[in-house]
Amino acid sequence: MATTEAAASAGLLLPPVTAEDTARSQDRSRVHHARGHSKRWRLLWLLVGPGILAMLGENDGPSMIAYASDGAQYGLGFFVPFIPVLFAMAFVCQEMCMRVGAVTHRGYGELVLQRFGRAWGWFGAGDLALTNLVTLVAEFISIRVGLAYFHLGAGVAVTLGLVLVLFTLSGGRYWRWERIVLGLALFNGLFLLAAILVKPHVGALVSSLAFSPFPGGSFNTLLLLLASTIGATVTPWMIFFQQSASADKGMTPRDVAHGRYDTAVGAVLAAIFGVGALIAGAALLTHGGSGIQGFAGAGFPQALGHVAGSAAGGVFALGLIEAGAVAILTISASTAYAAGECVGVSHSFNNSPRNATVFYAANVGVALLAALVILIPGAPLLSIALNANVLATVLLPVGLVLMVMLANDKGLMGPWANKRSTNAIGVAVIAFVGLCGAAYGIDSFLLSVHLIGS
Amino acid sequence: MNTEAPVMNDAHQGSPIRERDLQPQERFEDELIMHLERDQFVAETSRPVPRVALSARATAGLWALRVFVVLVSLMVIYTFIDQLH
Repeated sequence: MATTEAAASAGLLLPPVTAEDTARSQDRSRVHHARGHSKRWRLLWLLVGPGILAMLGENDGPSMIAYASDGAQYGLGFFVPFIPVLFAMAFVCQEMCMRVGAVTHRGYGELVLQRFGRAWGWFGAGDLALTNLVTLVAEFISIRVGLAYFHLGAGVAVTLGLVLVLFTLSGGRYWRWERIVLGLALFNGLFLLAAILVKPHVGALVSSLAFSPFPGGSFNTLLLLLASTIGATVTPWMIFFQQSASADKGMTPRDVAHGRYDTAVGAVLAAIFGVGALIAGAALLTHGGSGIQGFAGAGFPQALGHVAGSAAGGVFALGLIEAGAVAILTISASTAYAAGECVGVSHSFNNSPRNATVFYAANVGVALLAALVILIPGAPLLSIALNANVLATVLLPVGLVLMVMLANDKGLMGPWANKRSTNAIGVAVIAFVGLCGAAYGIDSFLLSVHLIGS
Repeated sequence: MNTEAPVMNDAHQGSPIRERDLQPQERFEDELIMHLERDQFVAETSRPVPRVALSARATAGLWALRVFVVLVSLMVIYTFIDQLH
């Protein structure tokens, strides 16, 4: 991990420098300056990004709808403490991604492909392409639902999403892309504002911290709730995104501590805003969860508007637009990173579209494909949105196992390899996610083919 | 200290700048790249890491998990299509 200065003083020939290196070194020079002058807050400001974006990006449209639906159908009990627990699990996984990216300077896709063989790399990329496409469709639906509250249609949703993707890609710099998306992501706090506007009962909030009452209903419904709520916090795209973004940002082992702060802040903010959506949704509980059936239209914000006032409905609708927009940017980016890494070509925001054609084409292409789906008349948008999180949960365990293996690889990680305690927590997270996803998949299938009764 | 300037691949391609104007810019970029770790350069990260030899048990475990996940995914997709009807 010698710096180029050390290499130069040792008489070693420096590697050839590309425009991508020059762009990254400009960002790194600011980090070195802040570190050298003990400017702690400036250093933190420079190094935050991938962790907050991964966490708030996962507070996407389907996730916020899932939290609000949990609240509307089951109230606050169980889910208020459950959501922070899930984000604690997400922190464990994402911290490993950040650490591997900072130490190896390589993305998840290329490391899996090179270290474990092409089959595993392409399997991972295939899983990611499938779940990302389905999730991106759900993000456009989320924007459409939010805009419908303001009497705007699917065409505006598609245009807004695609224009945002093109605008953020236009700078040819990672730093610019990251700061624009970070700025947008902070508006995830609209869900907290929506929660305040519905004026929740503080006593009910406090008593819900005891994980009770446990949600009732059928076993399959409970499994669906668990699988979709887990899928709302930990997903395959987050793994690809944070590791690749950490490498693209130019993070090094010296930045791992700040990477942890970044990921922790992201997890805390995402948990708070997620609970905000849950509390806002819980305002519909006494109305029998009315409104969520009209999801494909403007059901949720409108129902909230009727129950808690037009301000709450409007803020929730704006929150859905923001959640969908930020997720479109981060999920498209994760697809682009994976495509570039697996094909073995340039995969960096610090490179120009001419030099990183596959990266930019995948970024725009996957968003465009998802946008076209929501324009198909009669497409089952509601089912797609609700199943996006479940599919992500089911496919996640393989990706997590490979991530734990990478984080334990002493040949790659050296002294930054996982500690025993991290492995124990990581294995527990994988087992929990795997069991919930598999139980829902198998139970639903058996119900569908009438091998068991509901 | 080795003062040899690094090779500039594509940063200056096609720019008709006179040498005396180019020098400060080159110096600036030389100083800049000192902030990158050697293994951060594109030339270094483009070099693949060696493949690790997984034990037979690990390989079998990964394949078993892979097949299981594909089967459960197919069940979820079947249920999704079934619910559409």
